[in-house]
Amino acid sequence: MWNKTKSLILSRIMTTAATIIVLLMTFFVPAISEWYNDISEAKGFFESINITIPMCIILYICESLALMAFHSLHTLLKNISNDKVFVKDNSDCLRKISWECMLAGAAFLILGIWRFVFIFPAFMAVMFGLIMRVLKNVFEKAVEIKTENDFTI
Amino acid sequence: MPIIINLDVIMAKRKISSNELAEKIGITAANLSVLKTGKAKAIRFSTLDKICEILQCQPGDILEWIN
Repeated sequence: MWNKTKSLILSRIMTTAATIIVLLMTFFVPAISEWYNDISEAKGFFESINITIPMCIILYICESLALMAFHSLHTLLKNISNDKVFVKDNSDCLRKISWECMLAGAAFLILGIWRFVFIFPAFMAVMFGLIMRVLKNVFEKAVEIKTENDFTI
Repeated sequence: MPIIINLDVIMAKRKISSNELAEKIGITAANLSVLKTGKAKAIRFSTLDKICEILQCQPGDILEWIN
């Protein structure tokens, strides 16, 4: 029977799996960049320039941001399983994730100089960061209301 | 907050302990402590009603506003 605990366990497994995948990808970033450079159509401001090195740098930056976001997700899930939902720590985690997404969006936007196609993932990352920011605001307000409720005798 | 809780004074006058009062009101001793130390954000009318009933006092005896 599916329940709340199993759902939390699944979320934790998926987060761990995603973390492992991102860590493994570190070894293949140069190969992926070279492969993308070979297959992609050079449409950007610098069309004749090889994209391998800038793409490697941006991917490593994004990987670091993703790992930080996964760490925040782990903290969030850990707090939720300990029944600490509306706490300041959780809204801090959401704020961190939001900024990490925004920074990843900015990184992809820089990559868009070489290949215009990267503007789309940049837009998606910024959009996701914005959603997380609104969620953070909701959480912050919920923490405030809970504190007030807890101290109503 | 410029609202002061004078529960300690009334409790001393009535010679009632915190645990006894908490039990009679129907709240935990920890919550009564929150109220006494002024950490509470709000007080329910029902709680205030019980406090006044048990301590035989007016809300104004417990709550005081200072500028």
